[in-house]
Amino acid sequence: MTLRVYIIRRLILVFPTLIGLTLIVFILTHVGGYQRFLGEYVNIHSAIPVAVQEQRLTQQFHLNDPIFVQYFYWLSAFLQGNWGYTQTPIYSGTVLGAIGLFLPNTIILAAFSSILTIIIGIPVGVWSAVKKDSLVDHSTRIFSFIGYSMPVYWLGLILIIAFASPAVCPCLNIFPISGSVNIALTNNLSWFTSGISYPTHILLIDSLIHGRLDIFVDAALHQVLPVVTLTFSILASIIRVMRSSMEDTLNQDYIRTARAKGLRQGAIINEHARRNALIPVITLTGYTIAGLLGGVVLIEAVFNLPGIGYWTTEALISGDIGGIMGGTVIFGLAFIFSNLIVDILYGFFDPRIRY
Amino acid sequence: MARFDQTKLTLRILFENVTSAAGLLIVLGYVLIAIIDAVYPQLIGVVNAYAEVPDYTNPVPQPPSLQHLFGTTYPGIDLYQAVVAAIRVDLWYSFVIVLAGALVGILVGVVAAYYSGFFDEILMRITDIFLSIPYLPFAIAVGFVLGRGLDELSLALVIVWWPLYARYARGQALSIKENAYVEAARASGVGSWGIITKHIVPNVLTPVFVQISLDLGTVVQTFAALTFIGFASANPLLPELGKLISDGFPYAISAPWVVIFPGVTILIFAVAMNLLGDGLRDALDPRNRT
Repeated sequence: MTLRVYIIRRLILVFPTLIGLTLIVFILTHVGGYQRFLGEYVNIHSAIPVAVQEQRLTQQFHLNDPIFVQYFYWLSAFLQGNWGYTQTPIYSGTVLGAIGLFLPNTIILAAFSSILTIIIGIPVGVWSAVKKDSLVDHSTRIFSFIGYSMPVYWLGLILIIAFASPAVCPCLNIFPISGSVNIALTNNLSWFTSGISYPTHILLIDSLIHGRLDIFVDAALHQVLPVVTLTFSILASIIRVMRSSMEDTLNQDYIRTARAKGLRQGAIINEHARRNALIPVITLTGYTIAGLLGGVVLIEAVFNLPGIGYWTTEALISGDIGGIMGGTVIFGLAFIFSNLIVDILYGFFDPRIRY
Repeated sequence: MARFDQTKLTLRILFENVTSAAGLLIVLGYVLIAIIDAVYPQLIGVVNAYAEVPDYTNPVPQPPSLQHLFGTTYPGIDLYQAVVAAIRVDLWYSFVIVLAGALVGILVGVVAAYYSGFFDEILMRITDIFLSIPYLPFAIAVGFVLGRGLDELSLALVIVWWPLYARYARGQALSIKENAYVEAARASGVGSWGIITKHIVPNVLTPVFVQISLDLGTVVQTFAALTFIGFASANPLLPELGKLISDGFPYAISAPWVVIFPGVTILIFAVAMNLLGDGLRDALDPRNRT
């Protein structure tokens, strides 16, 4: 089977998973049924009598039909871009509107952390495998052990204490500990209304488009602590896998051959060993994404960052069906598609893989 | 030749390694604290192991002192007593979660492996779908339906955790069912159910229990993480580590100890569990033996 056929087959397999994912989430959120649904949507302050509202809602959401029939109504609306409504203290409106508002913040956080993890994790892993049992290797091991065991939200709180507590050192009060931008800077801006920046919804980019360097710097400073926390929480596993994979590779016969024919250490590591040692790391990336998505929920809660995780948590606390469904589906989609990309990359990098 | 004693050898290798022995001792220490909590909490200075004791006359967090070893947290709760009592709650729920998850997982995995073919394919695709949802948002969705108490949270985590064990048990069972003794049992007329319960499940149990012990640190962390984002609302005075951190959150800057002590308690347990896990893996991997 060629790589192309493999990719097509893998793409087709995404659909049953998507159906399964949405079905599980739909049944979960609608199993409480009827009364719960009406309680969420009925407006007791409205001039329209409650009974009339209930009747309309029952018709609108097909509440008298069996749950599987309801699911198909929901699925067809979902595919047409009607994802329902959400009502939480931080946002009221359509679910898609909320996702458009919150997702960019989460993407920025996840992207910075992933890039940092790769930039730091791979060289450190290679280094500690090459210098096995040295001081570097041992300190890396201790570091990754602690990183592996540290509750990520607690690390965030410790950073908040370190950088904001007057008891520690006033000199450290450089990084803001809450939110995504200083509100005083964004007041009365035409391109930043009710917390939404235009045109990209990513403040770091929009501020540059509008030539506001001060806002850019402020927004960037707000990202520092969350990004450091998230990076720390996923860095440990990348270093661990990179180290053991590099160690395995360095014991292979072809590395010994390369040594025997007199290649320099640098050439052996960079040309022969590292590329092969990267393959397990690509697989691990798939698992790391799960950790990343979980970490995002907690870190956004700790740092008050208005992202998807923060919104989903708010939806949980205020019992908002639209938010729970929208958030879970987005996380599921992100997970499914990143795993898909990882699988394809894996086949691409390792020609020995049988598709 | 002397009889080969697997357990003795495993324990010896475990204790030869200083770090895994330390991990084992710390974990046993936590278990001991949890047991004392349940049997005679006054022995370690805990007045009430089943509820936090608030002091509304003095609600503002006080720094650590001789009277309050870890200080107090809002509203006037002695942090040392709360943390020690919380160890019992967290360990108990985590044990129940992994055991229940393993039970469901072993059942699904072994049955799928034994019958194989189409049935196996269906069960494993369902497992994959459960695995394809990131656990934290999924647990949030489950918690939304069931409510935000600790029992409901445990059920949510079991639903998230069983697919991992199902995959693992299936992998083990696939190789076990090819053994000659399974074939011998079938030839002598033992039914499918008999083979599954008497010959396959007992042999799957050991590797799955090793996996459970490796997972316990992660489960304790996940459990506390979910109570941190608002899962412990049903019983506001139940001592629980994540809830203690979440309660202390508003005071973290002015009174850092309210989040430091519960967090360090989780951290030490997780580090010990990981050290022990690494040691166990080495001890059980025959390639490491000389």
